[in-house]
Amino acid sequence: MNLKLSRIVKERIGKGIKTIIMVLASLLLLSPMIWMISTSFKKAKDVFTYPIQWIPQEPVLSNHIKVWTAGDGFALYYMNSLKISLILMIGAPLMAALAAYGFSRIEFKGRNAIFVLYLCLMMIPQQVLFVPKFIMFEWMHIYNTHWALILPGLFTVFGVFMIRQFFMSIPHEISEAALIDGAGHFRIFMKIFLPLSKPVLATFAIIDFTWTWNDYENALIFLLDKKLYTVPLGMQNFMLEAGVDYNMMMAAATAGVVPLLVVFFIGQKYIIQGFSSSAVKG
Amino acid sequence: MSWMKRQRLLGYVFIAPNLIGMIIFMLIPALFSFYLMFTDWVFASGQPPHFIGLDNFRMMVKDDLFAVSVKNTLLVLIPVPISILFGFLIAVMLNNRVYFQKTLRAFFFAPYFTSGIAIAFVWMVLFQPTNGPINAFLRAAGITDPPKWFASPDTAMYAVLIMLIAGGIGYNMIIYLAALQEISSEQLEAAKMDGARFGQLLRLIILPLVSPTTFFLMITGFIGSIKGFGMIYAITQGGPANSTTVFSIFAYKKAFSFYEMGYASAVSWTMFLLILCITLIQWAGQKRWVHY
Repeated sequence: MNLKLSRIVKERIGKGIKTIIMVLASLLLLSPMIWMISTSFKKAKDVFTYPIQWIPQEPVLSNHIKVWTAGDGFALYYMNSLKISLILMIGAPLMAALAAYGFSRIEFKGRNAIFVLYLCLMMIPQQVLFVPKFIMFEWMHIYNTHWALILPGLFTVFGVFMIRQFFMSIPHEISEAALIDGAGHFRIFMKIFLPLSKPVLATFAIIDFTWTWNDYENALIFLLDKKLYTVPLGMQNFMLEAGVDYNMMMAAATAGVVPLLVVFFIGQKYIIQGFSSSAVKG
Repeated sequence: MSWMKRQRLLGYVFIAPNLIGMIIFMLIPALFSFYLMFTDWVFASGQPPHFIGLDNFRMMVKDDLFAVSVKNTLLVLIPVPISILFGFLIAVMLNNRVYFQKTLRAFFFAPYFTSGIAIAFVWMVLFQPTNGPINAFLRAAGITDPPKWFASPDTAMYAVLIMLIAGGIGYNMIIYLAALQEISSEQLEAAKMDGARFGQLLRLIILPLVSPTTFFLMITGFIGSIKGFGMIYAITQGGPANSTTVFSIFAYKKAFSFYEMGYASAVSWTMFLLILCITLIQWAGQKRWVHY
């Protein structure tokens, strides 16, 4: 009896110690973000005090207020980024789902050839496409407009693969039976597949949102006008102007990260499932 | 039956929107850039492109930036196995017995999920050479002359590598955790009954079983690392003295600072070749250590 009890106690202590180690390790990885948030509330003189003030001694809101109100403030960059990210968050999954249905449920000539083409396209790094896209966008008159980010963003190979993978797991009998009953593919897609695949669509929408929100390279190349800047570009612009006002810089960085944190904590379940399943099975 | 046939033709309708987009925004640009790499075209020069064969590649090999970018692009591969190792260790610990498993998992994953330009700027300030928190810590630990990190050509790359290692751990952890949860506990229990120690369990059972995951993470990690641009460029623009110029920055500068579109295309396709080679080498090597 005593032996058994001591074993349970020992196990609990072991578990507790492991938990403490893991908490410390995770805090270490989170420390840049924690430092960012705490510094964004600091006065300039407290930024680099050592030992580090993780909780500002005299917290101020002025950095955040300045970031949001100064010149071409963050409000504008936010609106631009939100516009593009939200359009793509809805558009990209829809485009991908349509194609995924075609690839997984309808047998037509050339399907496999097209699928192989997609596989090849997936291997080409974006950097190869920047030069020709820059020139083509000039011709198409979408250079230096938000369309230069929205239009290409609607078409993702990743989304097609991810959603196709899920559609393949829906039993064939379901769509075949519906087809025999006279329901067309569009109805099957709208009435059966879309509702069934809500989780995977949500996952992809969230992943796509973070991509677009963080997309720096495309914005850097295709946007010129400061009024069109998205958050990453606006942030860089801000950093150049802020110089050594590190507390202001961190307020700007916090503004850039907060939407991602919000999305992360709301959609955590979908995100973690989505990331793990798309990789392990892929 | 003709209705069924019509339904089959609908396949094209379903795929068309995506396919047309892919053709306009990926296939045509890819072919266009493939053509450009054999030309001397400079944007807005008023001159039409001239076919110059492989001259761009001859020029590139002699370019000082080429040697630097190859070296730096190989250097940014180093964080991949390191963050895979950390990701694996954390996943094993979390999968074992800990309290608050799900919260901890979110804690570890959040830095990866939020990493981007904003976090790059945080690292820039953390590594600030005179008063930054990292050097303040090093000084307090007795190092009187800590590295200047991003401010010096000798150390900027180290700062980049540390930033990349920290950024990748969360992703690798999440993928490993999913793989570990698929290992049947019976198998592990049976091995424990036979008196296997944890080290043996790890080496003989867990590592072989997750080797396909490790392989996947190595392949995608290397590809991602070679393509990486934003976090490095935002902090250093490839400097100081080109010390952090990786291939993607090399290509970007040629294209959008100098508008040498033909040359830039050659550089970006070389980058593609590098990705292809490294992937093929890994693919060939997988037989030795990946167990399906």
